[in-house]
Amino acid sequence: MQSKAASYGLIWSFVVAETVAESQRWILSAMQKHGQELVTMLWRILGDEQDVCDAYQDTFLKLAHYKGGQKPEHINAYIFRTASNVAVSMLRQRVAEKKRLSTAIVTLKDICSPAGDLDSKYLQETLRCRIAQLPEHLRDVITLRDFAELSYAQISRILGISAATAKVYRCKAMQLLAVWMKKEIQKR
Amino acid sequence: MSTNKCKQITAWLHKAVCGRFCLDTDWIQNHIANCPRCRRRLSAIGKVDLTLSIIKSQPHKLDLLMRANTQAIGVLRHSLRQAPKARKLKTCLPEPNLLERWGKYAHTTANVTACIAILLLMKIGAFSSMDKFQTEGKKIIKQYYASHIGKDLTDDIFPNDMGQFT
Repeated sequence: MQSKAASYGLIWSFVVAETVAESQRWILSAMQKHGQELVTMLWRILGDEQDVCDAYQDTFLKLAHYKGGQKPEHINAYIFRTASNVAVSMLRQRVAEKKRLSTAIVTLKDICSPAGDLDSKYLQETLRCRIAQLPEHLRDVITLRDFAELSYAQISRILGISAATAKVYRCKAMQLLAVWMKKEIQKR
Repeated sequence: MSTNKCKQITAWLHKAVCGRFCLDTDWIQNHIANCPRCRRRLSAIGKVDLTLSIIKSQPHKLDLLMRANTQAIGVLRHSLRQAPKARKLKTCLPEPNLLERWGKYAHTTANVTACIAILLLMKIGAFSSMDKFQTEGKKIIKQYYASHIGKDLTDDIFPNDMGQFT
């Protein structure tokens, strides 16, 4: 009797799960619509293909489990913000891991370019680390504007701020990054 | 109404401020040339800009979207994984957007449009000149007839164009 009830329970939960899945077709549509932009943004933030795939997977997993499988009101806003946050978390973990292993992000031995501070690998890694350290409101604008290449109007809709505010945030972020980058280069 | 006015005024102000404080303005350029602090600041911001450009210019492998889709679909529910759209996503490659796709034809389109415009102008010019020559010719012939056979007979010969040539 008990085993029968258990099997009915299993069948019921399976049916419920499949029904939810049927109603989640919009996830695939979102993937089709925004996938390319997301991958580009994640690639620019992370610079590593496996990390991009992981962050992308995490983003859609979170989307699928949003409020028990409900569709968010603004899917693109949710996707872009989640992807950006996931990527930045990964970037921070990467930096922390490298620090823990007591190696510099790019050691001086790696830098063999005669162009000195124009060494692109060093600059890219430094900038990525610094962007991860920016306050959230500035970081969101930089990632959406410069990495996802969205317009200020789109950014304002995603972040729920005005386009002018987004422009001011980007300007502030650039100033902060410039100061940090300068210090970093001087340290070298 | 007032919102529109506000927007208009904001746009004007933005234009005016941009015109006055744009980096290319002479007085700003002169100042930068003589101010080491501003130069340092601008060069630091320029470096960030340059690095962002380098990051943006780094290409990823063509199949990255396909791999990312495959990995993401792999963790979704069974019926979503089996959907035809999912199978399509697993094999999709990045496509250039419309602007990029048609961008290469922009130059050709501009050339063709310019040629068509020139042809149209030439055609209009030629037709209007021909019209003018015809009118002038008729006028001269009418004057000739008028001077030789009289105005009444001329009006009989050219009844329709009576007012036109006088």
